Amino acid sequence: MEEPGLREIGCEQSPLSRPDGSATFMQGDTSVLAGVYGPAEIKFSREIYDKSTVEVMVRPKVGLPAIQEKNQEQLIRETCESVILGTLHPRTSITIVLQVINDGGSLLACFLNAACMGMMDAGLPMRAMFCGVTCVLDSDGQLTIDPTTKEQKESRAVLTFAIESTEKRILTISSRGVYSTAELQRCIAAAQLSAQKIFHFYRDSAKRRYSKS
Amino acid sequence: MAGLELLSDQGYRVDGRKSGELRKIQARMGVFAQADGSAYMEQGNTKALAVVYGPHEIRGSRAKTLHDRAVVNCQYSMATFSTGERKRRPHGDRTSTEMTMHLKQTFEAAILTQLYPRCQIDIYVQILQADGGNYCTCVNAATLAVIDAGIPMRDYVCASSAGFIEDTPLADLSYVEEASGGPQLALALLPKSDQIALLEMNSRLHEDHLDRVIDAASKACKDVYAVLDQVVRDHLQEVTALIGDRGSA
Amino acid sequence: MRETPLSSCERAFLLQAITDKKRVDGRQTYDYRNIKITFGTEYGCCIVELGKTRVLGQVSCELVAPKMNRPTEGILFFNLELSSMASPAFETGRPSELLVKLNRLLERCLRNSKCIDTESLCVQAGEKVWQIRVDLHLLNHEGNIMDAASIAAVAALCHFRRPDVSVQGEEVTVYSPEERDPVPLSMHHMPICVSFAFFQQGTFLLVDPSEREERVMDGLLVIAMNKHREICTIQSSGGIMLLKEQVLRCSKVAGVKVAEITELIQKALENDRKIRKEGGKFGFAESLPDQKITALKIEKNVVDTSNVKDKAEKIISESQPPSDVVTKPVVRAVGTAQIGEGIENTWGELEEEEDEEEEDEDDDDADIVSTSIESDKVTEKPAKKTSADIVISDSEEEDVVILQPEPQAKASSSQAPEEDQDKSPVRKTPHSKKKKKRSSH
Repeated sequence: MEEPGLREIGCEQSPLSRPDGSATFMQGDTSVLAGVYGPAEIKFSREIYDKSTVEVMVRPKVGLPAIQEKNQEQLIRETCESVILGTLHPRTSITIVLQVINDGGSLLACFLNAACMGMMDAGLPMRAMFCGVTCVLDSDGQLTIDPTTKEQKESRAVLTFAIESTEKRILTISSRGVYSTAELQRCIAAAQLSAQKIFHFYRDSAKRRYSKS
Repeated sequence: MAGLELLSDQGYRVDGRKSGELRKIQARMGVFAQADGSAYMEQGNTKALAVVYGPHEIRGSRAKTLHDRAVVNCQYSMATFSTGERKRRPHGDRTSTEMTMHLKQTFEAAILTQLYPRCQIDIYVQILQADGGNYCTCVNAATLAVIDAGIPMRDYVCASSAGFIEDTPLADLSYVEEASGGPQLALALLPKSDQIALLEMNSRLHEDHLDRVIDAASKACKDVYAVLDQVVRDHLQEVTALIGDRGSA
Repeated sequence: MRETPLSSCERAFLLQAITDKKRVDGRQTYDYRNIKITFGTEYGCCIVELGKTRVLGQVSCELVAPKMNRPTEGILFFNLELSSMASPAFETGRPSELLVKLNRLLERCLRNSKCIDTESLCVQAGEKVWQIRVDLHLLNHEGNIMDAASIAAVAALCHFRRPDVSVQGEEVTVYSPEERDPVPLSMHHMPICVSFAFFQQGTFLLVDPSEREERVMDGLLVIAMNKHREICTIQSSGGIMLLKEQVLRCSKVAGVKVAEITELIQKALENDRKIRKEGGKFGFAESLPDQKITALKIEKNVVDTSNVKDKAEKIISESQPPSDVVTKPVVRAVGTAQIGEGIENTWGELEEEEDEEEEDEDDDDADIVSTSIESDKVTEKPAKKTSADIVISDSEEEDVVILQPEPQAKASSSQAPEEDQDKSPVRKTPHSKKKKKRSSH
């Protein structure tokens, strides 16, 4: 078994001109494009008087969005809401649109990463950055981080964590399959280590971008 | 339908017409009393009914009001019994919405909308029997209806379809000719100034033949214009005769 | 969200510039913006960038029953979606007029012109045919969606490979890509749309309008042609009055442009084919521009998980056992018990006897799982109240029958390590909470 590790990561900031912020995030073959609009005007019927309304739209590549996409939207929305300082922009809307460019495994983690980079590009006030990491456990209990589609399909349990940057605490866990508490703790610890690498990557991207001023 | 010859050696089409001949046109204006303007038109076997209401105040959302001209609101629908197989959705599907947009575009260009700011003009067209050239018959019927309603237009809007078979352009296609899959062109023309209000073409046609096909369609439109003009004049004579004897044509 | 309206100053500026034969981005009247075509790792996936307008296209296939009136032909399905990220004006919900117009034009351009040989998609006449589905997503709207979409659709269709099938009598076998190489679609020709924007009552035209130019134009003429100079579709829209000469002139310009674009598509396809054959790396990740400062790529990262297991075990062993929630309940009578004290009843006559309590059987679960993790997602079952519910009623009800409780298996949803919760000898089912006990009046 090869060493567990993250696949090749790539990111492009502001690829699109129309949204306030946008980012492409690639993990191996998985590629997601995030477009962020906000804070923007919102219809009166949907406004919240003391904070902004966060809306997430997940668009699959083929076909119309279905229940699974709605589920992912909710997860991502709640993660973003816990991180965005919504009270700074009451009565506004923040819209995050995520488009699947290619699905090669650990899609939810890629969504989370792209969303965070997109929000950073849009300049939204956040209390922390966050990143997504997917871990899978196969039937022998072997832990693999950032799985491909094949590894995900053949696994016993798939866990996706959203980890925030200040203290590496967990914002969201989404899992499928059976696993023990010990395995859960192992996954969390592994995810926190991977998250460290991803946050380094965020920092490097930002540094590179603002290197010429 | 593979063996069907659309153009015989002597130059006759399936229904016996020559390549540049139109189908028989019959039209009547003022068929509905309650509408501001209405017209019924038959072009061969295609039958269309057009009704115009307006100009009147904007109904529905005030947001659509244009401060300097009138809004032209169209609706195109096909009766469920109009085609060979019963039509499930008379309107609201993509083709009907497209036709509606085309009609709206055509009449917005032709009607003098600047004379009626903040108003709305409704044009409803219904196809009762579809046998090819649906859009064109609609446009012709709607022109008559608009004239019947007394709304000023720049010129008549006459429409005709044209095709291209064996190096010959055909004018006014019927359903059989349209379904064969050859190139078809629909043209809406203002005859006096030769201005094209709408041009739509499907299927492959070589660029060199485009000129001839557009010419065939234009000529057909002018023939339609002649017929429509006559219909309008006859109707006017009839109506003035009924009103009274002063100043009869 | 609403789109920012165009100010009169900007409109006047654009129109004045066009009258002076100048375009805001410096192009000539017949110039196209830069076209960039990239393909993904999957067959049939491509992204086209026309200037800043970006369209993603994906082709997929499925075996279905054919249509009734065409039993030997495959089915083509096109869908263009205006993603909400492309422009703040695009919202999901009812298809706008623009969407219907673009979709219909795309359908007519690709389906009616028979660019794909549908007869070759037939597997078993009348029973099974291939349904080819082309999904296009507009990612960024900077003008001229139609052209970009048609280029994306054509490039994706040319790039796509469908699985190979063989028919033996009644049996149809579909081979996976590992068993047999997938087969490309047979395309007769490649229709490309070219858009012309008209200004000054139709006297002046521009090719490939940008988003600003589209907002101030009088009307649009779209001509779809292939490189053999056959016109596949013409559509005029926007209420402009055209003259025949203008249309013919446009078709000539379109012919030239289409030839250039077709060559570009074929070059891109050729490049991709070469790279795949040589086994090089392909896909969107490779096309990420290295030189841009807004893009960054890092290599495969090994994460050192060697001490993870120890760390995890340490966490678990250090975690406190769940607090002792369940103290020994006081059994008042058969079928009832009391845990805790309860609050004193502040209204009306006190019942002499038992206060009915509810058990916190769920508190245990919540505690175990949440020891070292602060997770929002773990379902926290709310701690049940332990207040007394005493009913004083004068109604004449029949005697309340007290059911003997059965020994209940512990309803546990987590695989808790075996730290024990006190199992109380008498446990009520959660549903019995509202049965009020009545003391003898």
